Amino acid sequence: MKKTFMANKRLRLVVYLAVAIVVIVAPLMLSPYMNFQLSMVAVFAVAILGLNIIMGYTGQISLGQSAFVGLGAYMTAYGVLSGWPIVVTFLLACLVPAAVGFLVALPAVRLRGHALAVVTLGLPIIALPLARRFPDFTGGSNGKTVDWMNAPAWSGLAVDQWRYYVIIIIAAIFFLFARNLVTGRIGRAFTIVRENEAVATSMGISSYRYKVLAFTISSLYGGAAGFLYLGAVQFTSPETSSFLVAINILAAMVIGGSGSIAGSLIGGAFYVTVPFLAGQVNSSQTAIFSGAALLIVLLIVPGGLVTVPRAIRQLLAKRTARANARLNKESGEVEGNSSASTSTP
Amino acid sequence: MNSQFVQLIVDGLASGSIYAALALAIVLAYRATGLLNFAQGVMAVFSTYLAYSLWQAGLWPLAAILIAIAISLVFGAGVERLVIRRFERGSINTAVVVTVGLFVLIQGISGAIWSYNPLPFPSLFPLTTIKIAGAVVGIRSLGTIAVLIVVVVLLQLLFKGTKLGLALRAVADNPQSGSLSGLPVGRLLMIGWALAAALGAIAGSLVAPQVFLSPGMLDFVLVYALAAVIMGGLDSPIGAVVAAWFIGVVENLAGAYLPFIGDDLKIAVPLIAMFIVLIVRPQGLFGRREVVRV
Amino acid sequence: MLRHSIGRVSKATSIVAVAGMLTLAMAGCARGTTTTPASGSVANDPGITNSTITLGIDTPLSGPVAGPGSCSLAGLQAYFGATNAAGGIKFGDGKTRTVELKSYDDAYDPAKAVSNFRQMISDKVFADVGGLGAGNNLAIMPIANKEKIPQVFLQSNTTKFSSDQTANEWTTGWLPTYRSEGEAFGKFLAAANKPITVATLAQNDDVLQMVAGLEAGIKGSQVKIVAQTTYEATDPTVDAQITKLAGSKADVFFSADVQTPLAVSSLIKAQQLGWLPTVFLPANTSAKTTILDPGHADAYPAVYTTGFSKTVTNPQYAGDADVKKFTKDMDTYAKGTSVSNAFAQCEWAYSIGATVEAVFKSMKAPTRTAFIDAVHSIKGLDVPLMQEGVQVDTTSRTAPAVDVTRIQQFVNGAYVQADKFKG
Repeated sequence: MKKTFMANKRLRLVVYLAVAIVVIVAPLMLSPYMNFQLSMVAVFAVAILGLNIIMGYTGQISLGQSAFVGLGAYMTAYGVLSGWPIVVTFLLACLVPAAVGFLVALPAVRLRGHALAVVTLGLPIIALPLARRFPDFTGGSNGKTVDWMNAPAWSGLAVDQWRYYVIIIIAAIFFLFARNLVTGRIGRAFTIVRENEAVATSMGISSYRYKVLAFTISSLYGGAAGFLYLGAVQFTSPETSSFLVAINILAAMVIGGSGSIAGSLIGGAFYVTVPFLAGQVNSSQTAIFSGAALLIVLLIVPGGLVTVPRAIRQLLAKRTARANARLNKESGEVEGNSSASTSTP
Repeated sequence: MNSQFVQLIVDGLASGSIYAALALAIVLAYRATGLLNFAQGVMAVFSTYLAYSLWQAGLWPLAAILIAIAISLVFGAGVERLVIRRFERGSINTAVVVTVGLFVLIQGISGAIWSYNPLPFPSLFPLTTIKIAGAVVGIRSLGTIAVLIVVVVLLQLLFKGTKLGLALRAVADNPQSGSLSGLPVGRLLMIGWALAAALGAIAGSLVAPQVFLSPGMLDFVLVYALAAVIMGGLDSPIGAVVAAWFIGVVENLAGAYLPFIGDDLKIAVPLIAMFIVLIVRPQGLFGRREVVRV
Repeated sequence: MLRHSIGRVSKATSIVAVAGMLTLAMAGCARGTTTTPASGSVANDPGITNSTITLGIDTPLSGPVAGPGSCSLAGLQAYFGATNAAGGIKFGDGKTRTVELKSYDDAYDPAKAVSNFRQMISDKVFADVGGLGAGNNLAIMPIANKEKIPQVFLQSNTTKFSSDQTANEWTTGWLPTYRSEGEAFGKFLAAANKPITVATLAQNDDVLQMVAGLEAGIKGSQVKIVAQTTYEATDPTVDAQITKLAGSKADVFFSADVQTPLAVSSLIKAQQLGWLPTVFLPANTSAKTTILDPGHADAYPAVYTTGFSKTVTNPQYAGDADVKKFTKDMDTYAKGTSVSNAFAQCEWAYSIGATVEAVFKSMKAPTRTAFIDAVHSIKGLDVPLMQEGVQVDTTSRTAPAVDVTRIQQFVNGAYVQADKFKG
């Protein structure tokens, strides 16, 4: 029964519908601050989803996602301020980071675990001085302030609501695309590469090509998140790409759930709410709070928060199994054990 | 030869020695546990703060540092036992993320206890200089280099000449077969982390007099140190030190003589250098060829 | 089978119903509640009652600039802690109010800064006061001016916050700008009316404006910049930069180096290389105990800085009444902020507290508009910890609240007014 809950198509549709209603109606009710926060959840969820594609699904460490978010945001700012059509700006904000990611990946993914981690760690660190090097493009250390993505009059929406909808819709498209990607042929190849490269080779899957592909897609998602970032924040500066942002994105991904689409969304929510929660306790000690949160999650639910329901279910199943076992033992039915344990998902 | 050119090389060796100090701790941890510890820098800073507090309490600087090194042994062992131990069987990605979590947490703790003010830290070496080949060399840098050489020799002796070292290496290379051959894997990994933390305390104490003690003191030194470790071949102490010196010298020369690098993009130099070395020689300058396990 | 699916459907409808109720519930506590007061009446703006006012500060409390950032909060806590303990501040509308201070950590991340500022609005904070940093506050600036929420007396040396306060009425800077600091020293050098060579070192961000100011100040004079280098705030050393500058053998070393460790090591390195120029240091990185003593600055023929405040760590102010009160207030009210008063930013935050108090005293109504009007009309105000004769003046729409930059020379253990360059 529990197992079939989500398996029932019609029910699942209804649940999605209910969620959709909440997502659509919520911004009309919530405060501008809450709408901004929800938009930021979507922004970072897209960035985290991108990181998940290379790290969670393909098993390659990347510590540089913030560099691609920053590049996407700069690209968007430049496009908007130059008066380019918004579609062109959006495409470039995705494709330029993807191209950079592709060029970095060509040599980088030949490296294994640690070396790749250190190379990608370098990206946000080089991004800062590099951004200051080209003030015409980036606005130097003063950054770029852009007034855009304002609600058109026909929509009748407040600006925070309009931005929320734009960001949520684009983010949803990226999530759908990612879901199809990871459940499809390419996604299966990613997983095989992650699990065992030798097996991948024996199956005729080029680990190298799929790693480059995953890294490129991951960068594209970073760039898209940069586009959305500029929509929500309306400002970008070298600090957007900073190492600290990259570290926090990584932490949020792991906490949400490595190799999970829903986990990326939870990660986005975590990224946005943790500073807020830490601020409620003591705003001077945010670092302790997020560091401890990351370790605690890894200790208790290594699969991330997304696996919490499964972990609880397993725990319950184990308990019932044990109870059944005791019961069976008492009534002398020894072989009954097996049926109890197989019912655990 | 231009005297500024020589001076830049000498300066590069001096800053390279700073990177090398932390790089050695990372190499030791890697060699003993097979894990690249991104928290090595903040752990070293934490240890240095311990030395600072002892010094503030009235101890001689050298005594304070020695006691801090001793405490760091326990500290490193504790971190391994309480945190890392639980992830040793998991994927390498998870383990790296755990060290990133430690990085954030320990830095926050240092900040909460000792504040974010840069604090002056006593140097064991005087500020005086001597002239070598027309270049000015600080005694402090020479002292740092001397300590580095001693540490490298000791590490080589440990890993090549002692039973403990051989056992540590065996376990780091392959925990399963290590445990099958009757080695106390858990205890050995703990010893590895303890030694690395102690070495971190030495590194921190060498660096702090020049860069001042603050929670983020080694953040960017860590980037250089990691690049040096990877370039040097991950498990080679000599390789790490040579690579760190190389990085220090090359970044200075590139900053001075290559206009498109300049002073602002100097930090790209170690990363690009590391990249090139890895493409040409995947096992690093001094590393052993990695055997691919299936 | 049929019954089964009916059961499912009813479950499904209940989910939709719950979702609907949830949205309705949210509707109850939402949008409509932020009522705007009827025009004409002097209803209180959010964050101010007849007995309290809530101020916010968005500033870096973690991350790379957590040190000075924590100070920008601690100084305000100390100041308002003391005024609250004394019963509160009597506002211009005749009511006495205590100050509640809410702090928000942005880790110097623009996105977090914007998020915090929006949270402040939703937390009903009256005004954002005294935040530290350029990148984070620049992200807030357009929102502050659009939403008409004060973002005032920022601890940043960037010109952007002060240069056009007609267009950006709701944002003001407090500190003298880097540019004016550099320009003051440039003019000082130019006034010597003789050929002087200068070598500059500057942090590669906003601080570069100090060099731009210097260039403007020496324009048309016999002073020449002969060598220029920059460093990144994150660089572990600046030895190579100093080696390059020393090669120029310039008469003056103009250091726009605002990192304590790097400033100290640059002073040490230059003298190790045998380069002993006259030294200029920026106001926030020139204290005796933290910079000059560890840097052995007594080796140099002369050390200049720009100054406007009393540096509490300087022994020359040890007996000063302001300094004593500041130290006492810091110890009493700014506990648990992870800072000692080693940063000048703690003192400046304290002075900013006093500036805000003056604004409160002349604020005629409990509204943000009345507040911002008062913010722009302070003149000839003496605040604690300022040097003799330095006053706060906010009436200019193109300059920060403190726009006095005086050149001072370090003589016999103390900074004193310098009238002429003695190179």
